[in-house]
Amino acid sequence: MSLLEVRNISKAFGGVRAVDDVSLELGGHDIVGIIGPNGAGKTTVFNLLTGIYPLDAGRVILDGKELTGLPQHEIARAGIGRTFQNIRLFKGLNVLENVMTAADPYSAYNLLDICCFTPRKRRREREVRELSRGYLKTVGLEGYEKEKPESLPYGLQRKLELARALATNPRVLLLDEPAAGLNPSEVRAFIELVRTIHGRFDLSIIIIEHRLEVVMELSSTIFVLNFGKLLASGTPAEIVCHKAVTEAYLGEEEAAC
Amino acid sequence: MEYLLSTLTFTGIALIGVLGTYMVTGLTGLFSFGQAAFLAIGAYVSAVLFKNLGLPLPLAALAAVLVGLAAGLLVGLPTVRLRRDYISLVTFGFGEAIIAVLNNTTNITGGAMGLSGVPQHTSFPLVFISVVVCLAVVVSYKNSKYGRQCLALRNDELAAKSMGINVERLKLITFLIASVMTSFAGVLYVFYTTYVEPGAFGWVVSAEWMIIVFVGGVNSLTGAVVSTVLLTGLPEFLRFASEWRIAIYCVIVLLILNFRPSGMFGQHEISLSFLRRLVRKGAKAP
Repeated sequence: MSLLEVRNISKAFGGVRAVDDVSLELGGHDIVGIIGPNGAGKTTVFNLLTGIYPLDAGRVILDGKELTGLPQHEIARAGIGRTFQNIRLFKGLNVLENVMTAADPYSAYNLLDICCFTPRKRRREREVRELSRGYLKTVGLEGYEKEKPESLPYGLQRKLELARALATNPRVLLLDEPAAGLNPSEVRAFIELVRTIHGRFDLSIIIIEHRLEVVMELSSTIFVLNFGKLLASGTPAEIVCHKAVTEAYLGEEEAAC
Repeated sequence: MEYLLSTLTFTGIALIGVLGTYMVTGLTGLFSFGQAAFLAIGAYVSAVLFKNLGLPLPLAALAAVLVGLAAGLLVGLPTVRLRRDYISLVTFGFGEAIIAVLNNTTNITGGAMGLSGVPQHTSFPLVFISVVVCLAVVVSYKNSKYGRQCLALRNDELAAKSMGINVERLKLITFLIASVMTSFAGVLYVFYTTYVEPGAFGWVVSAEWMIIVFVGGVNSLTGAVVSTVLLTGLPEFLRFASEWRIAIYCVIVLLILNFRPSGMFGQHEISLSFLRRLVRKGAKAP
């Protein structure tokens, strides 16, 4: 039984078929990767899954629930969390508040509590703060709570994006080039971090990444996109030896196979 | 003394309007050029109900606030879906439309001649208490999940939606709270001045409130309060300069925004815990 089913989704921008009849499947507690050359439509797939663009065709089903056509925030609350390729943290808020904002939609108090200064608001606020501190600790950002996100080094900003995405309590976590701009030792640490998160939380992960080592090491299945179409899918070992993939993406034939 | 008290009363009423503008523009990043229209709604509805229909004052005030809420819904519902620049246009149109309606319903509102003969019921203590309550609510709102989410969506609407924030609903809620507060300020206003005319509620007033918020610092509530006191009090202090008054006022605003682009306070707040820290630091110092 698959957790996330993506059936024949398509999206065209003018004459460009950015995503063309792509189907993906993701099991519970799984990690899969999406690779492909620049402009293959990888990020567009994420934007379609999270409802940023409406689908031209196809369906998205999460654990039996139809997500097709829902507004962005409802899709997020249904359990699809994400990070962004070009980091999009909230600049007016500090590190802790960035994470709290993502946990807030689940915080049960309302305007009446605000206008009447009830203790319920204070209690719920404390809960959300503790919860968010936990996420910051998971990604290794404890001690940075009061910092401004834009003052953090790049690698830590990526981690903060990850903590914020975790705070939305996702069933499926979409990571859009999470290792871009990291140096080799940071990439190693990042792979370990993703493993830790995957081990600790009950969620599945889809990773878009240009660093093949990340995808190869983490994913059980890899989907290859090229010009908006699904070119191939299979285990990392199968993909490495796939003829069409090596031609389209890796360029030359690999001697290893 | 009388003069000082009346200046303070007007400042208090303006402060409630500025607090509404702070929520809509400062916190949420929506430029509303129609905020002053809610002041007009509050003033006219309560005055007409009280004077012409003989409703008791609390009922007239309640009705005025409810009409303000309804007007907020009417403008808010369609506009929260729009892009930010269009929101300015729609609220601007709404504000000017309200003025036009007031000008043309002469038999009820007195038209351009204004509505006079309203008894004075607003006192300085009442205004002071109202300001304190409104301020407390806005502080509580800012320091809640709502305030955080407003700041988040002001900064990056797309990311906010991806974090599960219902952006349209949140904008509407913020706009409605501001509408209610400003309408109530209108009630206080008319029962203080005893006379209102439509010209006093144009977009210039809304723009002035926005200038006050920006001079104080868009992210800072403390800044909004301080700059309201300074900028609404300032023209009174500048009376000696007679016709140069407005020019000096403008120069001061420009200087502040030129040398401190994020306003006097930027995003700093003076809160109780901040003062406590300050005292502790002072105690530690030799």
